Amino acid sequence: MTGSSGKTARLNRIFDPNDGRAVCVAADHGWMSDPTPNVLELRRILGQVVLGGADAILVSYGTALRMGNFFHGKNSPALLIRADWMNMPRLGGSNVSNILPAVNFKKKATSTAKDALLVGASAITIYYFVGYSDEFEAINIEQAATFAIECRKVGLPLIIEPMAVGAPVTGVNVTEILIASARIATEIGADALKIPYTNDVRSFKKLVDEAGVPVLVLGGAKSDEPRDALELVDEALRAGASGVVFGRNVTKARNPRGMVSDICSLVHGRKTIDQILDTGAKKQGRLRPVAANCTGCQMCEFVCTHSHSSEYGQDKSRLRIEFKYKPNEPHTSKPIVCPLCEKCAEACKEGALTIGTEGYLVLDRERCNACGDCVDACPLHLVFLDEDGMPVFCDLCEGDPQCILWCKQRAIVLTEIKGSKQHVS
Amino acid sequence: MNINVGKNIRMSDFIDSKDNRSMLLDLTVTSSIGAQPGTEHISETLKQCNAIFDGIILNPGQLEHHATLVGGKLRAAPLVRVDWTNAYRDKEFCLPAASVTRVSLSDGEDALTLGASAAVATFLLGFGEDLESENIQSVSLLARECYRLSLPLVVDIRPIGGNITADNYEGSIKLGTSFMMEAGADALILPECDLDTCRLIGMWATVPVIMRCDEVPTSEKAQRMLEAGMTGIVLTEKSLRVPGFEGKATALKSLLHQ
Repeated sequence: MTGSSGKTARLNRIFDPNDGRAVCVAADHGWMSDPTPNVLELRRILGQVVLGGADAILVSYGTALRMGNFFHGKNSPALLIRADWMNMPRLGGSNVSNILPAVNFKKKATSTAKDALLVGASAITIYYFVGYSDEFEAINIEQAATFAIECRKVGLPLIIEPMAVGAPVTGVNVTEILIASARIATEIGADALKIPYTNDVRSFKKLVDEAGVPVLVLGGAKSDEPRDALELVDEALRAGASGVVFGRNVTKARNPRGMVSDICSLVHGRKTIDQILDTGAKKQGRLRPVAANCTGCQMCEFVCTHSHSSEYGQDKSRLRIEFKYKPNEPHTSKPIVCPLCEKCAEACKEGALTIGTEGYLVLDRERCNACGDCVDACPLHLVFLDEDGMPVFCDLCEGDPQCILWCKQRAIVLTEIKGSKQHVS
Repeated sequence: MNINVGKNIRMSDFIDSKDNRSMLLDLTVTSSIGAQPGTEHISETLKQCNAIFDGIILNPGQLEHHATLVGGKLRAAPLVRVDWTNAYRDKEFCLPAASVTRVSLSDGEDALTLGASAAVATFLLGFGEDLESENIQSVSLLARECYRLSLPLVVDIRPIGGNITADNYEGSIKLGTSFMMEAGADALILPECDLDTCRLIGMWATVPVIMRCDEVPTSEKAQRMLEAGMTGIVLTEKSLRVPGFEGKATALKSLLHQ
């Protein structure tokens, strides 16, 4: 429990009041490491993360200013600001492939709690590095204490991220160091922690118990398989964690929205891992229009455009509403949606466009030569080329069609395919 | 006008104004070495202890999160530790300190915001001139701030550095006492020392002096400390591990305030 109503109100934006849990996505990598693809495509990825249902997103102050639209609205994710900067990913010894490797470990406070509050943040996140040197840890503690004082003054929650790094940190003592540093962070003034998993439920339970504040487990480096990442989440939750802060496992995922959605299902207790990954029956379906229900509101077109490109409008929609006007009769409207006839895939000589294992169209961008044959093959004219010449087509929102979700009239439904002609990409 | 009225009121939260005695509990070593036996769940510890002690020293984060469990007329007054050090990280800790550091965790204004009845600062002795001089400067500045804010400043004297030997231990406590009174402390916490040192400091000190004990002292020992001029006793988290702690602590409180 925190002593400040400001902190309580803001924590309630991060942690779901119904279950006290949170799914947060860290998207602050461009602030501290090389501009990898997940940094370059941040706007698109954040759009996906929002649609996936994340409770909060961690970004730098600059990103918050540029992409504040993702945080508008009562049901949007809470904004978490990274209030410090460090160069650990660029340290020469650990990663010589960096553009500009660093020699000495540095960490600086870069925003104040008040700065974060003024841009609408629900919390700030800062690092606490332990193990590198006694002096460096003392600097970390002092900075954290300064933030804690500021946060108390303005009623902003402080999330501290203890990280055990440096030569004295070994496989033998790392768990013990993390457990101690979690508690130390609480003593300084953390309202929640973001911390690596200790790799077993028992020790992580000890960490959570002794920390005394909500603990969010971080994902670390990208897992090879989504199941690995989900199992980490599952174990952490069993140990008493209050949720996750996942970065690269989401932002580097092939399907960020799907990944966030899956994590949400797990964290908020809606599904087990097996239920989440058992996609066969769930996702092998196709869209079917129910013209009688269509009011012509065109919400589906807007949603389709926004869910794929984070843009507002209808130009890039992968479905359309067709209106029919007859003299002296009310006009009628009907959704024209992809029936998964697979003619586009059949027309693709390169084999770039296929029905994937999960039952929806997928594009191998390496193989695609932008010939446009798929566009010509679509009998409903629902496939078109984007500015790069790549085909744009209905991908069933990778298994979770947003048009269905948003059409309250149920003018579009998902029907199961019987005897599906499935291809493996 | 008595400019110290605020200090006096706050001081009386944890030093009984009727008998000028005090019994405190220090739960702050956890900021350096993590949870210790008896402090794993701080709310449970506070519920167990808040009716026994006159005051409980907490780190800022814990005080903020558990403010409802301390303070008021029936519960122990909260005192806040305003600094952090790795000096307690010995070889048994998973990451022993190679060089000792000390930094601020809070300040007078923050301590008041947290509802603390006093700020508690650490004065480390025996770690060399650099640390000592910085420590003296930071306590002095804090004393000036606490004076302006009418917040009592308690200084915890810790002669635990490598330069402390059996020969200079008692002298170091006297040195620390002198320095910290000169710096502007309103009360002192001393480590256990021999009775002669206790008596000397008891006569000499013009501020309340409270003795730090790792375990609940016997009634005879406690009586000797009080007779030597000590104002009271600070028990550390180590005392929580002793079987029958609550009963022993309650008996000690009766003795102190009889």
